[in-house]
Amino acid sequence: MEQIRNDIVDYLKANSFMDNNSSLNDNDSLTQKGIIDSIGLLELMDYICEKYSIEIPEDLLTPENFDSLQGITNMITKLAK
Amino acid sequence: MRIDAYITEYARKTPQNTALEEGISSISYGCLDNDINTIASSLMDFNHCRFAVLAESGIQYIKMLMAVYRSANIAIPLPIEFPKFSLEKILDAAHINNIITSDMQYSRFGEDFFERFETIIVISSDTSVKILRKKIETENNNPELCLVLYTSGTTGTPKGVMLSDKNLVANAESIIKVLRITSRDNGALVISPHHAFGNSIINSHLVAGGSIKVGNMNFVDSVFNLIESGVSIFYGVPSTYRILLRYPDRFRRAFTNVKIAASAGGGMDKAIVKEIKELVPDVKILPMYGQTEATARLAYLPSEDVDEFVDTIGKAIPGVILDVFDSESRSAGSDAMGELVATGDNIMLGYLDDEIASENKIVNGWLHTGDLAQKLPNGYIRLLGRKDDIIKIGDHRVNPRDVERSIEENNEVSKVFVVPVYHELMGTAISLMVIPAAGTKVEELFVFCRKSLPGYLCPREILCIDHLPLSENGKISNRSIIEEYQHVKASM
Repeated sequence: MEQIRNDIVDYLKANSFMDNNSSLNDNDSLTQKGIIDSIGLLELMDYICEKYSIEIPEDLLTPENFDSLQGITNMITKLAK
Repeated sequence: MRIDAYITEYARKTPQNTALEEGISSISYGCLDNDINTIASSLMDFNHCRFAVLAESGIQYIKMLMAVYRSANIAIPLPIEFPKFSLEKILDAAHINNIITSDMQYSRFGEDFFERFETIIVISSDTSVKILRKKIETENNNPELCLVLYTSGTTGTPKGVMLSDKNLVANAESIIKVLRITSRDNGALVISPHHAFGNSIINSHLVAGGSIKVGNMNFVDSVFNLIESGVSIFYGVPSTYRILLRYPDRFRRAFTNVKIAASAGGGMDKAIVKEIKELVPDVKILPMYGQTEATARLAYLPSEDVDEFVDTIGKAIPGVILDVFDSESRSAGSDAMGELVATGDNIMLGYLDDEIASENKIVNGWLHTGDLAQKLPNGYIRLLGRKDDIIKIGDHRVNPRDVERSIEENNEVSKVFVVPVYHELMGTAISLMVIPAAGTKVEELFVFCRKSLPGYLCPREILCIDHLPLSENGKISNRSIIEEYQHVKASM
């Protein structure tokens, strides 16, 4: 879990509007904090699919699964099983 | 008549009818009108003053916007998807003393951001009004001005398009005629409402007394759910359709009961049209063309002609006259290339605080669009590119020279060139070619672009070159840059 979370934070630091030194809580909303936009979310999704060799069906593309570090980490853990 | 007066009219005639829906909440015309009054009452002692409107894209934003109209002040929506840096550029250019914002955006942007304002009004989600400070100053504005929309606030000098009540109502009525919008229609607003296209969806559906389902494009499942909840007219920029078409089965299910799939903000390509037609043959596809300077719409392509004429913008919307002018401002004949010009009640008052740019843009009542075009024998108009070097990136109008300057001024680099490249979802994205300086680090350029430019301007790749991409006659243009890029790629 911790590893996945760190991977996603690294990805966001390199590819989103997030600053290197800003802190992000596990339940912060990525869209409301302006860290990522709709195209950015799709690119993040493609990155996750490739990195963890999973497929994400469109009905999982919800705020619960994609708008926070916690949601993303949980979803990957579930799908990668 | 002002746009918000239509809401009052429907609040009287059909108070129970739904005006706006967002997620699980919805609001009737009667309640919407009351809430607008509540917010407007705190603005009434301002006398035609500029108000920045900073709110997310939902019902709350629409209430604030309408309250600024109702108090006879001037609304200047700030596109929240832009980085802080770009918003500050708009604020610097627009000389705004007052801001009305949501509590969510107030806490997101923080107190420092709001320091520049003399008046700060914060609206919470239950529409209670908090006045953090208030100072009424006399402003000297165009008497007809009610809305300022910014066209290119991302880089370079932002330009504020000044619109009047007459502009907004005229364009809303034209759009209502083209799409045959009635009070029974549910429109989908999933694109940004802070720009011309989104704003026109709000105006046309509220003037028709219909309802709008408000969402955003962040989460694909939520968008499909919104459409499935009963949308009769869906609106998207081409990239909206590209994103949704990644899920063809769900697209088919969601769009089965949609009447019209309308588009604007960029040309629909044949591939998108073909895919939609195959999945949902009964949906009418209706591409539209326009500019912020024309409030929103100028032309539309009737859905029956989409197959044959998708590479054209079709014909003028009712109330607008389009023509193609040669270099001497005479109407050009069929098939001759010239500049597309337009006239009608939807043409802007001018650019905010910029008379010279306004006079160059509107000459003898004709809006010069900057688009090169030709008239076809059947009267339809085909676009042939831009007079200037403006390009569409992810359906946003971008001046590549401004982007280049902004990167050069803020980084250790000698020269930067923006290259438009293909992107699966956005249609066009950018790559950069740079001539490095002693301290150039490519990774730092990437970081700068990610943090300081909007997402759609993040470069796909950065290539280092050692000479200027000049054309044969020694000039630098989009064309010479693209040719150099192809040359560099071929030799890699």
